[in-house]
Formats: sequence, C-alpha cells, structure tokens
Amino acid sequence: MKYFLKTSKIALLLLGMVAAISCENELDLPEAGSQEDTTPPEANFIATVDINNFAIYNFANLSTSATTYSWDYGDGNTSSEVDGQNEYAAEGTYTVTLTASDALGVVSTFSDVVEVVEPEEPEAIIPVIIEPSFEDNTLPDGTGDGRDSWRNSDLGGVIQINTSSTVPEGGQAAKLPSDASRIGYQELTVTPNTDYRITYSYRIEDPGGSATVSVLPGGGYVDRATAEASAIVEFTGSDEDYTLVTLDFNSGADSTVSIFFYNASVEARIDNFTAGLQ
Amino acid sequence: MKTFKNLLMLLIVVSTVSCGDDFLEPVPTAVLVGETFPNNAEELESVLVSVYDALQGVNSLELTDASLNHSQQIEFYVTEMLSDNTRSKSGEGEAGQFDNFTVQPTNGFVFDYYRSMYDIITKANLVLDNIDLAGDNAATIEGEARFLRGLAYFNLVRSYGDVPLIDAPIIITDSEAQFTRVATSDIYDFIVTDFQNAISSLDVTSTPNRASKAAAQGMLAKVYLTQGTNYGEAQGLLEDIINSEQYALEADFRDVFFNEANGENIFTVGYVASNSLESQNFSAEMLNGVGRTSGVNYVTDEAIAALDEFGGDRAQYSKRVDAQQPTQTQVVKWIPNGDADLGIAETSSDPTSAGNDWIIFRYADVLLMHVEAILAGGAQTTSSNALASFQEIRDRAGLADDPDNPDDDANTVTVITRDDLLVERRVELAFENHRIHDLRRFGVAQDVLTEFSNANGHSFSATDLLLPIPQFEINLSNGLLSQNPGY
Repeated sequence: MKYFLKTSKIALLLLGMVAAISCENELDLPEAGSQEDTTPPEANFIATVDINNFAIYNFANLSTSATTYSWDYGDGNTSSEVDGQNEYAAEGTYTVTLTASDALGVVSTFSDVVEVVEPEEPEAIIPVIIEPSFEDNTLPDGTGDGRDSWRNSDLGGVIQINTSSTVPEGGQAAKLPSDASRIGYQELTVTPNTDYRITYSYRIEDPGGSATVSVLPGGGYVDRATAEASAIVEFTGSDEDYTLVTLDFNSGADSTVSIFFYNASVEARIDNFTAGLQ
Repeated sequence: MKTFKNLLMLLIVVSTVSCGDDFLEPVPTAVLVGETFPNNAEELESVLVSVYDALQGVNSLELTDASLNHSQQIEFYVTEMLSDNTRSKSGEGEAGQFDNFTVQPTNGFVFDYYRSMYDIITKANLVLDNIDLAGDNAATIEGEARFLRGLAYFNLVRSYGDVPLIDAPIIITDSEAQFTRVATSDIYDFIVTDFQNAISSLDVTSTPNRASKAAAQGMLAKVYLTQGTNYGEAQGLLEDIINSEQYALEADFRDVFFNEANGENIFTVGYVASNSLESQNFSAEMLNGVGRTSGVNYVTDEAIAALDEFGGDRAQYSKRVDAQQPTQTQVVKWIPNGDADLGIAETSSDPTSAGNDWIIFRYADVLLMHVEAILAGGAQTTSSNALASFQEIRDRAGLADDPDNPDDDANTVTVITRDDLLVERRVELAFENHRIHDLRRFGVAQDVLTEFSNANGHSFSATDLLLPIPQFEINLSNGLLSQNPGY
C-alpha cells in the first residue's frame, strides 16, 4: 500500500508537469484558472537636454514591468531602443510619448513635453550710477540737488556739493569737509560673477589727508567700521590735482554692490563716476 | 533510519549555532540591536566615536564575518566602478556587475553599502536622541553627529534615489519608518538642515578625521550644486572656506595622498596600519593578487586617455601599469606597499592591513566646486574669480605657463566650459569616488555612459544610474519597499 502511494504521487507529479507544459499553447483563453496580469507595465521617463547642444534631448526610460518600448519624439522621429535620444531640427514644443508593453501585450503610455529653445546668452547688467557727477536735476525724474542718491545716515553725514571751482565733469562735485564726518554711499544692481570697472576723479585740498573710494559686496550697510573693512576693492589717494582712478572688481556671488567713499584729515572732492564692464 | 536521525540531529545543531550570533535574524538595517544606550557624557562620546567607526567600516580581510559593514572601504565598487573610470580585472562576479551594468538587487556590495549608511544614521540618531547628556560639548557633538548623518543620507540619496528617512531611534516593529521610501527632495531638505546645524556648531579641527565647519560647508555646497538651486549660496559657502585660509593645495600632488593630514585634506576617514580593527583592505584589493579579493578598481582605457591628455603631473600619481600584468593599469592614489619609482614609501608592512586614509573632501574639490557655482548651470564662464580657482588647480598640476617666458600663455585659462570643468574634475579627483556623482550632477551620465558602454560591449541603460534597493530589504519589508525601475 505504501509502495503504491509513493508511485501514484510520482505519477501525479508527472501528470502535473505534463499539464503545465501543454498549457502553453492555450494562452488566449481567459477562463477559469487564468490569472490577471498582476504586474502590468507602467511607462515613465525623464528628459534631459544635452549640455552642449540645446536641440538634443536624452530620454531615460524609467518604465517598470515592460519588455518592449516605442518612442514617439513628437517631431516624426521614432525609436524602439530602451533609452531614447533625439535631435530636433527646429525650436518648438514637442510632446514625447513612450509606449511600454509587456510580453502579455498589456500596454502603458506616458507623455511629457519638451521645449527646444536656444538658451539666450545672459547679458550682463551695466550698473547705473545715479547722480554720477553730482549735478542738479539728474535724478531719473529730473529733480534733485546732486547728492540725494548718495545718502546713508548710518554711515555718516550727507556729502556737501562743491559748485565754485572747475570740476572734471559738469559744474558740481562732491565735497567732503576736513572733519571727515561725511560720506557718500550708493547701492548698484549688478550681475553676479561679472568683471566690472568703476572710474572716478578725486583731489584733496591740502597735504596730509586722503580720499578713499571703495566697492563693497552686497548692500544694506549700517555700520561704518564694517563698511570700511568689507571692501572688494578700494583706493586711497592723496593727489592735490584731480586724478582719474580705475577700480576693477568682480561682483562675486552678489547681485548688489555698494560704492562707499570718505576722506581723512583734509577736505576732499570726488566727481564723475562711471560704471561698466572691464 | 538511524542515519536519518543523526542527520536530523546535525541539522538541529547547525541551525542552533547559526541562531546564536544574533538575537534577531535576519538583522534589520536601520534598527538598533544590542546597542548600549548611553547614560552619561562619556558614554555619549563613545557612541559618537562609534558613528565614525561606522563610516570607517571593518577590514574584511581581518574580520571575515560577512555580515559586518564595510562602509567606506567598499564605496569604490558602487561609485567609481559603476562609472567609466574603473573596472574589475576579470569582469566577473559581483564586482563585475558594476563594470558591465548588470547590477542585481542581490549584489552584496549594494546591500553592504546601504546597510553601512543606515548603520551610521542609526548610531548618529542615538547620539542626537541623548544629546542632553553631553554637557559643555553638546554643540560640537551634535554638529559631528549631524554632519555624519547628513553625509550618509547624501550618499544614499545619490546612489539609491528615494530612501527611508529615519530621524530618531526606532524599534523593530516600526516597519513603516524602516520601509517607506521618502521623496528625494524631502531627503535633501533633511540633509540641508543637518549640514546647516553642523556649520553653526563646528569649528576647525586638529585632524581631518573629525568633522569640521569647512567639511560641513563644502558638503552643503555640494548638495546645493546637486539640486541645481542656490548657486549663490553654494558660492558663498565655498568662499568662506577659501577665505578662512585654513586650507591650501599641497605643492606636490603626490603629497595629498602620501603625506597624510596635510593642509589640503578637509575630511578624511582615518585608518591605522597593521591594526585589525582600524586598518583597511581597499588598498590591497586594488592590487594584483594580494589577499583574498584583489584586481578590482583597475583603470579603464577611457580614464587612462583622459589622464594622459589632461592630467599633467597628476597622471603618474593617479595610475600605473601593473608590473605583474603590463596590459592592465592600477590606481596609484591608495597603494599600501610603496613604489620606489614614484618616490612613494610603504604605509603598511602588510598591504591587506593598510593605513592609507580615504579622502572624502579636499581643497581641490572646493576650488572646482567654486567654478561650478559660478557657472551656475550655464554653458561657460569668463568671470575672473572662476578663472582664478581653475588656474590654481591647473598650475599645481604642472600645467602653468613657463615663468621665464613672458610670451608663453598657452596654459592661461580664459574661458571655462562645463565640459572643461567635468574633464578637470575627472583627472584631478580620479579614483576618489567622485566621477559617477559628477556625471549625474552635470546631467551627462546617460550620454557619457551609453557611449562608454557601447564602446566596451556593456549593457548600460538609464536605470543603471540608480542602484537597486537591496533585495534583502525588500524581502524584509513585506511589500512596503518598492524596487527602482529597471531591476
């Protein structure tokens, strides 16, 4: 009896194997005993533009449970590779569609839009200095006494205006009296990481003192010691005739820089600021 | 029947023995098992040291239990060998899966690295959960633990994508936290917070083996560059490191690797030669026929060509012909047994118990990231601050103009493209586990590795850019943890 049971078990096993093999020919009969596709394909991809050519896109296929793929790049080009790459002939908006299928013929599609556009070379901002040579009525609205744009009462008193002598530009210049209590300060908008050049002219009235012009990173300065210690670039001069000075600097991570000028010991004059790219 | 009974007995004995090692089997990855909870400041410090130990990993040639974590010591398999820089000599086995882009979810290195990172995270969480025991050192200890936790998550998220976020000690039954994958962007938010805390808590250190403020600033900058946002903040962090004047390029490139604790290295993993607990075996694994595992992380033809064309002085200290097998090329940067021709002294009498430190972060990376931050995703830059940082790297590599010839300006950098920067990073930081992350971050991985794969008959597809979630973890998760596409 025992022997018989063992034999019959083997026979049953054999029968089962045969049945399994013979089943392969009957895939398209969704009847009792058939199973649904529990892992249907799910199409997915991400598109990345080539770093050297804006017209080329790479498509990373992130689909799951699929075996065959069909790409429609939206410009008439197609592919059946796993990952896609396409070079577009013209700028425009294209809808890319990936169709992913599994071996049972179940299909999933995923679409995404790519923008093919030539990146603009960003133009560097040319900083605008207001009241650059301290003339009356040179505010943007046509008013002003030549010094309104240069105030920062936290750092010092407002500059005086010299109107009586010959100055490098126009009829007025900034005047810093010998008590050194007055300063000029103006914030400029710049493009980060750009090489700029600021020029100005200055003189001191008597020997034994100096005039300093500095460019500070960022803006919002409220403390004179901090401002004096922060310069990206500065020049301290003691010429008694008007002298042209060039300050070259890089704007660094900031989109704002500040011009800050002051004097020491003797009266100083400053005039004719310009700003531009190096 | 008697034989059968004996067999059964044997089976029982065997299974009893295998249960004896650990109370929990299989051991879960992100849960504290058998840790001693700290009771005072001294014990808390020792838990902090255990976080560094978790990063260090164990030397698999000294301590051979396969369930131990090898952490930094096996990182090159899942990073450098997955890139176009290195391969295994034979192309076979689990190491070979990285060469030819056929990594399986069952790959031992994929699992080892994953659980190693969570080991760091788990122990760091234990420190942070008990930080009130710390006393005067609380800020520093918190900063170090957060730095190491942030680093571990940064490694995980770059290699595996969405991963479970464990931010406090958890117990085994907390399977939702263990096995719920959290979106990459949320993981990055968490990493940023950790690094920011580390920056405000840490200062300069006497050894690059401990986390410092500059290390945290640099890693946060790299996170920002990876996210492709906050370029300005990244630049500011890097300029803080530059302006601190605590670090500088070594004059001689060789000394970066063979004169340890030099002024260029900002964060390194320390190893001690001939010490079974503190030594490493990766140096031996990169040799030919030394120790149990070897002949891995060999240099690809593509990396040889790049180093020869663009490396300058760096080429000879980065790769050398394998003397035993002259058709093959080895990595020089970590050799343990010296090289008289290159003027490199032996670091360890036994190469399988080597003492070469692993450099995670050095000043050259600061300068190159500075250029990357200024590029800010653009095609090229001519900004003088970027040129200066780039020129410093090139000059040290012996690519400076002839100082005696004023007409020689062939090596003066006047413009830097993204391609230039990628090539410079490749030859400067070759075999330091940067390449695969750089390719991902620059958005060129699919393009570059498809070409590399086609040229070498490998089977790369874009889903290979993320490692699989280890099958072991998926099995433990009872269906909670999903696999990455393509596996």
